[in-house]
Amino acid sequence: MEESFITKIEGHGQLKVDWKKNQVTLEVAEGERLFEGIVVGRPATEAAWITARICGVCPTAHNLCALKAVEDALGIIPDPTTVLLRQLLLSAQMIQSHTLHLYFLAFPDYLEIDSGLELKKKHPKYFRAALTLKEASDEIAKVVGGRATHPTTTTVGGFHKTPSANQLKELKRGIQEALREAESTAHLAASLTYPEFKTNFLFLSQVGKGNHFNIYETVKTQGSDGTTWLIKDYKKMLTEEIRRYSTAKFGFYQKKPVMVGALARLAIQKEKLNPKAKQFLSQAKLDLHNPFHNNLAQAIEIVHFTEEALELIDKLLKAPKSTNPKGLTGLKRPKTGIGALEAPRGGLYHEYTINERGLITKANIITPTVQNLGSLEKTAQALIDQTKNFGKERRAKLLEMLVRAYDPCITCSVH
Amino acid sequence: MVRQAHHKPKVAIFDFTDCEGCQVELVGLRERLAEIASQVEIVRWRLGQDRRQPGPYDIALIEGTPITKEEQEMLPLIREQSKFLIALGTCATLGGIPAIIDKEKRAFWYQKIYGTNYKPRGVDALPLSALVKVDFLLHGCPVNGDEVVRVVEELLAGKTPKYRGYSVCFECKQAGNSCRLIEGKPCLGPITQGGCGAICVSGGSACWGCFGLREEANVEGLLEVLFKISDSEEVEKYLSMFLKRTEAYQKFKGRVEK
Repeated sequence: MEESFITKIEGHGQLKVDWKKNQVTLEVAEGERLFEGIVVGRPATEAAWITARICGVCPTAHNLCALKAVEDALGIIPDPTTVLLRQLLLSAQMIQSHTLHLYFLAFPDYLEIDSGLELKKKHPKYFRAALTLKEASDEIAKVVGGRATHPTTTTVGGFHKTPSANQLKELKRGIQEALREAESTAHLAASLTYPEFKTNFLFLSQVGKGNHFNIYETVKTQGSDGTTWLIKDYKKMLTEEIRRYSTAKFGFYQKKPVMVGALARLAIQKEKLNPKAKQFLSQAKLDLHNPFHNNLAQAIEIVHFTEEALELIDKLLKAPKSTNPKGLTGLKRPKTGIGALEAPRGGLYHEYTINERGLITKANIITPTVQNLGSLEKTAQALIDQTKNFGKERRAKLLEMLVRAYDPCITCSVH
Repeated sequence: MVRQAHHKPKVAIFDFTDCEGCQVELVGLRERLAEIASQVEIVRWRLGQDRRQPGPYDIALIEGTPITKEEQEMLPLIREQSKFLIALGTCATLGGIPAIIDKEKRAFWYQKIYGTNYKPRGVDALPLSALVKVDFLLHGCPVNGDEVVRVVEELLAGKTPKYRGYSVCFECKQAGNSCRLIEGKPCLGPITQGGCGAICVSGGSACWGCFGLREEANVEGLLEVLFKISDSEEVEKYLSMFLKRTEAYQKFKGRVEK
């Protein structure tokens, strides 16, 4: 009953190394759940409920992305308060996911412990930071979304239920406390010694209009080489390859491997960061060409999204109550809609075709980790090539740390 | 049940195919998880640690559905080595959302999604109990953290945990929600075991039954009510979300085919 999966990553994958040939393959063995088949024949209103279950680490991202896609198909434009609440939920999702990843999966490598639970005794200060951030972000998800994992209040067109002003003020107190711990997390991430390693991949990040680091209302996808393309062209720009050794598809941008996620977002829109995060970035020695620095980028984003959550709550306290979502009416003819947003691990795309009776007839989902798998395998190969003088054990350890730094979400990538 | 004076109970956590949201809920217990972890020895947890000890285990928690051949082969081996086996979350207890797809439909979707040259790994999304004896079903999509703590603490105190003897409706009333069925909206609360705190209905969603059927659930009675406010197509959507591999779905089928 021996498994050989990489521990402390989301899902089941392993890097198979042929040490004689110095060759590495990324094998993904997660079972296929076939979400793009599961939703077919079901009401469009269920897409968000079902696809949240693609991933327990970023369910809100899938939930909101599916809502956007269905609303796009049905021509529904949610009111501004709904948009603010969703932005708050997505900011909380970023903090939830990054915190879990850093403290529970990635930092143990650098702090010479095995499990995040060991922080309690060995690094009580970090343990408190992790718990405070987790609690504050889970609390936003609960108060706004109804539950920490898999939202219950969100629906096509708006919310079944919205938080009261008192609930929002209560949340704000928790987030203010979390902001201090967000900063201490960024300091911790900046103090770690990351393996020295260079790659040169194209970064991709969805971007919003204007000067706002907008991860929910994205309008186009931008590359670090300056190219941009409209969300509706995502299928032309992002291609997927089937590998015989993987249940996840490998994604490429115009046949080239790319990197998406925190490091990519900072590479492309760092000037849009909130003040404290921006100030931190100016002092941190963030190396965009070192994928291990994705951990540092995530920590900086925790600061940014904690600031963002505070700002969004202030806006919400002044905003009118969101209108109740209207009942759905049928379509005259089948329609297709696309939803896109930046999930914790990068750009996420959902597309649904909905028939006259409101049922889904076709679905397509491209997750961030799919886009990252192509470059992750290549990066692992480069690491093997660049560490020929190291012992096998050290190289194996570095490979695992590299995979964790990428923060792959294998269950998302297979879906 | 599993307490022994001379050693801390050995706990192993496994994850089969799923979203891992139930493990995220475990982490979400924060201090309480650390507290439980200090009372036991977690000897295996792929998501949480490198350390990995072979069995026997006092308590094994398995999240996810054994959808692949490897998982279906591994499950009996875990069973053999575990004194008390807990299915963690609806994928493990009922097959979960992946069980919406019938076994015979999988080939069609593999071809559509992966093309013709792909060699599938998944066989069928089964509940653990289809393959081995399970000692306790901790239902939920995701599980409720308080329920996890209750069951584990009872085990550690030497007791055998019991199921909630009431339906979601009981907790839904306590939460102050108005009844969806009375408002003419479908809901599976009456046949579903409590323990979730009626969290979905409180958030404005329906109850889809992810906590599994309560003991002596009156499925026929609920179907009677559902057919008054809805049609068979919509009722099927409710019963197939989490309960497709249960007798509730079979009773529905029987009724429609009559």
